[in-house]
Amino acid sequence: MFLTRSEYDRGVNTFSPEGRLFQVEYAIEAIKLGSTAIGICTSEGVVLAVEKRITSTLMEPNTIEKIVEIDKHIGCAVSGLMADSRTMIDRARIECQNHWFTYNERMTVESCAQAVSNLAIQFGDSDDDGSAMSRPFGVAILFAGIDEKGPQLYHMDPSGTFVQFDAKAIGSGSEGAQQSLQEMYHRSMTLKEATTASLTILKQVMEEKLNSSNVEVMTMTPGEFFHMFSKEQVEEALNLVVPMEKSQGDLPAAAASKATANA
Amino acid sequence: MAMMNDSRPHYPDYSTAGAVQHSFNPYADNGGSVVAIAGDDFAVIGADTRLSTGFAIYTRNQKKLFKLTDKTILGCAGCWCDTLTLTRILNARMQMYEQEHNKTMSTTACSQMLSTMLYYKRFFPYYISNVLVGLDTEGKGCVYSYDPIGHCERSTYRAGGSAGALLQPLLDNQVGFKNMQGDAFEKVTKERAIAILKDVFISAAERDIYTGDSIVINLITKDGITEETFPLRKD
Amino acid sequence: MSSALCPEIPTPGFSFENCKRNATLAAKGFPTPKATKTGTTIVGIIYKDGVILGADTRATEDTTVSDKNCQKIHYLAPNMYCCGAGTAADTEMTTQMISSQLELHRLYTGRVVPVCTANQMLKQYLFRYQGHIGAALVLGGVDSSGPHLFSIYPHGSTDKLPYTTMGSGSLAAMAVFESRWVPNMDEEAGKKLVRDAIAAGIFNDLGSGSNVDLCVIRKDKVDYLRTYDEANKKGIRQASYKYPKGTTAIFPNKTQEYKIEVTEETVTPYTMDTSS
Repeated sequence: MFLTRSEYDRGVNTFSPEGRLFQVEYAIEAIKLGSTAIGICTSEGVVLAVEKRITSTLMEPNTIEKIVEIDKHIGCAVSGLMADSRTMIDRARIECQNHWFTYNERMTVESCAQAVSNLAIQFGDSDDDGSAMSRPFGVAILFAGIDEKGPQLYHMDPSGTFVQFDAKAIGSGSEGAQQSLQEMYHRSMTLKEATTASLTILKQVMEEKLNSSNVEVMTMTPGEFFHMFSKEQVEEALNLVVPMEKSQGDLPAAAASKATANA
Repeated sequence: MAMMNDSRPHYPDYSTAGAVQHSFNPYADNGGSVVAIAGDDFAVIGADTRLSTGFAIYTRNQKKLFKLTDKTILGCAGCWCDTLTLTRILNARMQMYEQEHNKTMSTTACSQMLSTMLYYKRFFPYYISNVLVGLDTEGKGCVYSYDPIGHCERSTYRAGGSAGALLQPLLDNQVGFKNMQGDAFEKVTKERAIAILKDVFISAAERDIYTGDSIVINLITKDGITEETFPLRKD
Repeated sequence: MSSALCPEIPTPGFSFENCKRNATLAAKGFPTPKATKTGTTIVGIIYKDGVILGADTRATEDTTVSDKNCQKIHYLAPNMYCCGAGTAADTEMTTQMISSQLELHRLYTGRVVPVCTANQMLKQYLFRYQGHIGAALVLGGVDSSGPHLFSIYPHGSTDKLPYTTMGSGSLAAMAVFESRWVPNMDEEAGKKLVRDAIAAGIFNDLGSGSNVDLCVIRKDKVDYLRTYDEANKKGIRQASYKYPKGTTAIFPNKTQEYKIEVTEETVTPYTMDTSS
């Protein structure tokens, strides 16, 4: 992929002659090994759906947590190195609480993303802050939240770049999933439609068969805020997926098979 | 007749030269009063313009109201150097918020930030009597008052500063309709609020030596802020 | 052990019991009450025909004005007046007491008491109390030797001066005198100067305020000009503060009926026997 691979792909503080930071680009590559996560933003709220890779039957699926609550009004789905994601989620939670403490108001989703972004780019061996990371985080995050501008979805990659999306997929199946989202998404989508659509697309891109224990679903609505689907609610949502699939036909070819240990 | 259980003899206290403790007082009291009244769709705040120390006047026209946003004004009385520092930091924080979050701070956000800023100096406080007024997100008038270390209380009227204790009972009666019965309870209008505000300052100037010269009154409505001044006695 | 037959002999000397008690009370938050010490501007000048004394009329308790129109020019004798600054009670009582002594002195000697006598009595009295009587005075009067003006300090020192100021506004007032006082001023110019000196105190010293009182003492006539100038007008009310009827809360009314028995009796007058 990188034809100019050379000694320039070692340090995070060295640009290549073409003006690239290879370590950051590699980190973005690492996301493509992670499990797939999909987020759709509708006028009623935001839905996040992620795949959980159950690599062993002896594994306890409940302990894999890929959708977490940041604050009452912000949730996020992560893909990539889970250990790295913990640090970023911690930061997001702290920033939200700090904002509430200082201003007695909820932090906007954008500000939350900005705060995490500030952490994400603190890699390299800076001398002023001893706690800096020596490498970029290998994590992509989908922020789903409600603020005064309504329901919002933000995506952030390891370079710290964050962009608002109507619908976004990250992880191993992201390329195919993003294409499907492009086709399925429309502005007047209901939250229920979005939930079904996200699960339908997950089903298309996942290697495993979709069931209530290898998928996590969360909705973020102005009324209920962060709501994680129970096993029963997931099953209920999955029931709606089957008929849709029949009408949908085949999925785009890019729903690749990039399963690795990078769950 | 056992008067003193002390076994020591009781010599009278002669002053003797010995170690003398000197102390430095980092605070000054520069006086001044602030009064604020809020209504359903307006908020009005007034502060006198006398800045003084001890028995002397520094100036007869010192504005003590600080516009934080188009909907929020802070009134300060007490240690003037602390006021200068606090309001400068406050302005810096307002600007940082605006740049970080791409929006102007709401009155409620200002009120909370001021509280945390004051508490941040819990053990070396700013000696200021702060009164914050503005319109909240629903456009309703609100008044927040503070103690020097960050206690914050939302109300609809408040008197603070050197004549605060003198004026609060007057406001309780005239704006809060306390200790009254019957049908005297009409919501205070903009015009009446400003008239009451001027009158309480006239009374304060009669009895408080640190209140006088003139008042600056700011009225906040959805249409913006208007300012007027009103003369007080100058002795 | 004490008994009625054998009483315990009290310890000799002073008892310091109350000192201990007072310290305890102060520590518990009951400090000894403070006397009213007023910030003041008082002045006096000698002019062509006599003496003019001036004073403001504000009395303060800490930072609160306790009297908006008090009298600070006290009567001592028909030819002498005295302005007082400092502890209100001290100036009041000192001048009253000296006044009575001066009157007695006049009766004994049968002549107009000279001003220097009053000065001597005041300074000796104040010195005796070593400054604990907090009276700072401006004494002015006219006697057979002409007009005299003294300033008397709480510890008992005195100055004989052609113009003087005292109190917290003394610097403001003295600034006026230093720039404008000249010997042998006429009365109108003198009154204007004293008014301006007091006004300087009223406006620039927070301890002084309200109105200007003057007292012009000449050889044969004294003008006590109470409220010579109203330096400050009170602001005009903007709103009406009339309460509608029934606004004041009262405890419930209760009507108690009393049964009154009325018995009518007709009284018929009868003629008195006045024969004896």
